[in-house]
Amino acid sequence: MKGKVTTIKIVGPAGLGIKTSGLLLSHILLEQGYSVHDYSEYPSLIRGGHNTYQLSFSSTEVKAPFYQVNLLFSLAKNHFQPHLAEMKSKSLIFSDEQNPKVKYLPLEKLAKKAGNPVFKNTICLGVAVFLLDLNYSKSQKTLKNFFPKKVKENLKAFQLGYEYASKNYSSLKLKIDRLKNKKGLTFNDGNEAFGWGFLKGRGDFYAAYPMTPSTGTLHFLAAKAKEYKINVRHAEDEIGVANMAAGAAFAGARSAVGTSGGGFALMSECISFCGITEIGMVFYLVQRVGPATGMPTWTAQGDLLFYVFSGHGEFPKIVLAPGDQEESFEFGWKALNLAENLQTPIIVISDKFLGESSKTTPDFNQEKPTINRGKLLDKKIFKGFARYETKYACGRSYRTIPGVKGGEFLANSYEHDKQGFSTEDPQKATQMMEKRMRKLKTALRITPKPQLYGPKNYQRLIISWGSTKGPILEAMKLAGDQKLAFLQIRTLWPLHSEVKKLINQAKKIIIIENNQTSQLTTLLKAQFDFKPTKKILKFNGRPFFPEELYEQFK
Amino acid sequence: MSNLSKYQTGKIPTWCSGCGNFLLISGLQKCFADQNIDTENIVAVYDIGCAGNMADFIHAYGLHTLHGRVVPVAMGVKLYNPKLTVLCIGGDGGIYGEGLNHLITAARANIDLKVFVSNNFLYSLTTGQTSPTTPYQAKTKSTPQGSPLIPLRAIELIKKVNPKVFAKTATNQKPKELFAKIKQAMEFKGFALLDIETECVAFGKQLKQ
Repeated sequence: MKGKVTTIKIVGPAGLGIKTSGLLLSHILLEQGYSVHDYSEYPSLIRGGHNTYQLSFSSTEVKAPFYQVNLLFSLAKNHFQPHLAEMKSKSLIFSDEQNPKVKYLPLEKLAKKAGNPVFKNTICLGVAVFLLDLNYSKSQKTLKNFFPKKVKENLKAFQLGYEYASKNYSSLKLKIDRLKNKKGLTFNDGNEAFGWGFLKGRGDFYAAYPMTPSTGTLHFLAAKAKEYKINVRHAEDEIGVANMAAGAAFAGARSAVGTSGGGFALMSECISFCGITEIGMVFYLVQRVGPATGMPTWTAQGDLLFYVFSGHGEFPKIVLAPGDQEESFEFGWKALNLAENLQTPIIVISDKFLGESSKTTPDFNQEKPTINRGKLLDKKIFKGFARYETKYACGRSYRTIPGVKGGEFLANSYEHDKQGFSTEDPQKATQMMEKRMRKLKTALRITPKPQLYGPKNYQRLIISWGSTKGPILEAMKLAGDQKLAFLQIRTLWPLHSEVKKLINQAKKIIIIENNQTSQLTTLLKAQFDFKPTKKILKFNGRPFFPEELYEQFK
Repeated sequence: MSNLSKYQTGKIPTWCSGCGNFLLISGLQKCFADQNIDTENIVAVYDIGCAGNMADFIHAYGLHTLHGRVVPVAMGVKLYNPKLTVLCIGGDGGIYGEGLNHLITAARANIDLKVFVSNNFLYSLTTGQTSPTTPYQAKTKSTPQGSPLIPLRAIELIKKVNPKVFAKTATNQKPKELFAKIKQAMEFKGFALLDIETECVAFGKQLKQ
């Protein structure tokens, strides 16, 4: 069947190479032309606990990982137990133990034969490649590229797994979609995708302090800094991070910071500073479960209102939420353009599920986005230049950067006049507040519009934002309902008028969010009269899976 | 003195007469003129406080930041464009209190910033509370029973953090020496911290009681 999705999961304690082998299996599938979406769960520790890596693949695009598992590999005894609910009647569990629920796979013995007990994970790969009937030599080649060290031992383990499976499991082979001569595909998680967007959008200053689940972007950009000749800085704390990036933006950088909710709490005074000084920079915020330290390695959409209303005082702020890895790339470069164009802080919201899950994507390295630097005078000024000129209807005034003769001005955290000098004059203060806020209206013309999926003559409308996009689209495919559509709000602040229009056309409204209080409902209610028929909310650290949403759509 | 005037905005300083900040601004402007630095290549970053209010009086590129945040903002400017002359101007409250972590980091990085601290041993713009450098047991508005903390010795601290940086004390009592030290700091290749001891003419008396 075309479009049939197969899901494989590897589980066990931390430190057994679960994610490594899972990623390798994903790459084996990608290089043989399959579309893959992965998802991994891990506790906030380095050894022990219970880690999982799962991947869903198909011959057509997979937009979300699925809940129901076809093949499960348990790398240690009993680790399959928490996953029994994910099994279908024909699903298979492989583990090195005697139990009626599992197929016995002597991992310990085979790993010893391969030369090292750490190769249990690679043995499972050999078994998987046999059961999926994938190309053996192509798979070997992928493995070689993936493990430049210990190639020999890994190849041996892979072969032992494959041979054991062909002797013992030949009747268990899975029926999957077959592909002909498809070329290899690229694979990126949301954090890497944002990083590519930053690089291709000519971002040249990135600062961060490590905080799960945003750290992937810091690692990605730090590794590319030399090649792209950009500044990537790990600062002393998130306060330093934000202020440093603001200083760089003032000096002319296309600048961004990355963190999660807790780190952004420390940055919120700086976002206000950027608001009044009209310093455009990007805040990439990858949510996890709060409050406080919460569940650091789990997903949530609990910071929406915090981000939209962050910072003391009133100033224009743009909040974008990519729904998948492609949009994480797109909003990465677009946010840099918006920051310079609107000269105000731009927030890009992601979360653990989107930031750390990988998906088949276009090769972002080949993309060439348009660069827009807005009203920048980087060589010389015109007569009568004033940095904070209030006469423009769009709210945007011309800006200079240090080094430009005659363009000297003060970026002032105090309220100021056109030149930037402090003022407490009531008329000037009003003019300046209004000047800045007019940029919000300008933003409506240039920020990503809401996106409608499904029939135009819908009766039921799903409304959501961010990483729920993939699971919703997959669930809609399962439902096949001709009267069900999905409205993805891509710019959460300011809200486009289309949102209201499209909502008003629906008979029934379903809100879907990874939070407890349905923050999107609160946000929409503040704008117009609005009452959702149903709210589907999940706030236990886990993303939505297509199957559970499909059940709710019935 | 036309050379000096190009570094002036024409705004009249709002400091009390006899305030030490007049000497600091003169010393800085004289130094810019002596070294013939173009105004467009200077970025002066100001903290919140009386010293930071210099922002309106120096003609150059400027950033009047949030309280305590001069150093990271200045680091961002300098990292992005190392050709610029980047200065930080603030008081003991912002730079040694709210922003101490940033100061230590900049010293560790030995980044080419010139940090001038107008140290009057008090928070003065907020009308005289205890600061990181207030003497032990000194009575201030926020410590009427006497300051319970021993004062921070910032110059010693920064020298320990990184012996390679410039870290010196000057005093407003000796203007000639102060001007010479401002010049030394500006000419130093690397991170420079000049702590300028000064007496707040409005609220300093309480420290002598």
